[in-house]
Amino acid sequence: MAELTSKERIQKFFKKEPIDTMPVFSGMGTVVIQAVNEMGVKFAQVHTTAELLAGSAIKSSEMCGLDAVVIPYDMATVAQAVGRGLTLYENSPDILYPTVPNKWETLEAVDIPTDFMKRARMPMVDEAFKILLKDGRFAVGAWQLGPFTLAGQIIELGLLLKGAKKNKEAVEAFLTKMTDIVIESIKHYESLGVDFLNIREMGSGTDLLSPKMWNQLIQPNLTRIFSALKTPAVLHICGSTDLIVPMMNQCGADALSFDQKNTITKTRTAVGNDVIVLGNFDPYGTMVQMENPADVETVVKKCIDDGVDAVWPGCDLWPDVKMDNIKAWVNTTREYGRKPSPAIKRL
Amino acid sequence: MSKSKEEFMKALSEAVVEYDEDACRELSREVLDNPDTLTPYEAVMNGLAAGMEEVGRLYDTQEYFVPEVLMCADALYAGLDILRPHIPKADAEVKAQVVIGSIQGDVHDIGKNLVKMMFDVAGWGVHDLGRDVPLEQFVEKQLDTNSEVVAMSAMMTTTMLGMKKVIAMIKEKNPECLIMLGGAPVTKDIANLFGADGYADSAGNAVSEGIKMIGRLREFQAGKK
Repeated sequence: MAELTSKERIQKFFKKEPIDTMPVFSGMGTVVIQAVNEMGVKFAQVHTTAELLAGSAIKSSEMCGLDAVVIPYDMATVAQAVGRGLTLYENSPDILYPTVPNKWETLEAVDIPTDFMKRARMPMVDEAFKILLKDGRFAVGAWQLGPFTLAGQIIELGLLLKGAKKNKEAVEAFLTKMTDIVIESIKHYESLGVDFLNIREMGSGTDLLSPKMWNQLIQPNLTRIFSALKTPAVLHICGSTDLIVPMMNQCGADALSFDQKNTITKTRTAVGNDVIVLGNFDPYGTMVQMENPADVETVVKKCIDDGVDAVWPGCDLWPDVKMDNIKAWVNTTREYGRKPSPAIKRL
Repeated sequence: MSKSKEEFMKALSEAVVEYDEDACRELSREVLDNPDTLTPYEAVMNGLAAGMEEVGRLYDTQEYFVPEVLMCADALYAGLDILRPHIPKADAEVKAQVVIGSIQGDVHDIGKNLVKMMFDVAGWGVHDLGRDVPLEQFVEKQLDTNSEVVAMSAMMTTTMLGMKKVIAMIKEKNPECLIMLGGAPVTKDIANLFGADGYADSAGNAVSEGIKMIGRLREFQAGKK
């Protein structure tokens, strides 16, 4: 059996070409605290310079044995760039991701600077991508929040949710504006030459929105995003998704990613065997909480048996992983994933 | 002709379910104009709160989702703001106090605000610390107010670990204090592991569980009368 490099394996994977074994990667953060500690820096620092961001991504994937690197780690880059500030939690002894301290209080107040891609940490993230691409050993993934989730980073989510019922036209216009931002930023990462993209419309599952509202407010914007992209692109949604799988599948993404709340067996039946399905272990419950790596092995095998094409965590890895659990994820996937998956054949 | 007690309660309940803020305000004012028909306390518990229970049922059966629930909550508050100042102290007797907030690192507060509403309706003393709350503030506020319950929410896996520290700090100083956890990443196992006394595993379940709690409180109050 021909052995592929990590980068080749993922590139072929998204082209649905035969590969040697199942790739091990994610489209969300996979930075681990062991890598950050070895670099001798605090977690809050890795979000602030290109060298630390790229360096921690590379070191994490080296230590874990992953096929890809994905940056950035926090969801606040764009919100900060449009002027909503940043809380880094530099003095906290805990692992906390940066957040946005100030949100606009009305839709009318929102004022997006046209040069947001050049503001705050956006140029730093660009530099980090260049470092990752130059390194060349790993497939490079970029992600962006979906329009609805991004909107929730810059205005009060309650305002958006109630507005969707009471002030539909204004909310739709606002989400169109958010979609433009998502397209501008993700197309920029595409132009840098990354290997795959992930649109994380995390806050739009049916825990929050009805399928009808998803169809009206979310689906048209996601469809517009995916139609604008040439690089392989994943659609990831957290939480309850069983009711919206067919609509997610109509958005034009190259792959669909789900968290542990999704019933993958039903999803696979719904989308058929031609669609790349990714998921769906609980990152905290599996990589941090499990005491026995054999339990991780069971979880990984179940994901594969349920019908995923690659075993993805349902969200960012919680950085304080047990390295033995990571190894169990990687090794089990490599071994148990030698057989073909529904959408991807083997060499 | 003025409404009967039952008609008032039904109309208030329906106004909440139909997220009709204006109707809630109007009916609440009417209640105050008809003190012999029903008390403001009855209007809150058997009108507004009963409506919110129905909202909970509609949420459970996936007829309502979070946007509808938030609008129903606004309607409930529209009535509550008018009626509450007129509830005699004996009726409004604060049974307990709660310190509530979203944990440091978490800027989500929809679930927290819905649970806060549940305590508001039930007449609890509510100390809302907001969102992105430094861990020690929960402990300080609990000690300052001697609150019986501390309710914390985290919507992200990445922030929920702070809860464990807060629980340990509070339980060390005040073992009797009850801790409620909520938020998407919080499971029953995690709540147990962290030493919490109760949990709701999602913003949705916070809605559902919170509203059920209103129902239990209403039964409790009815049994007491």
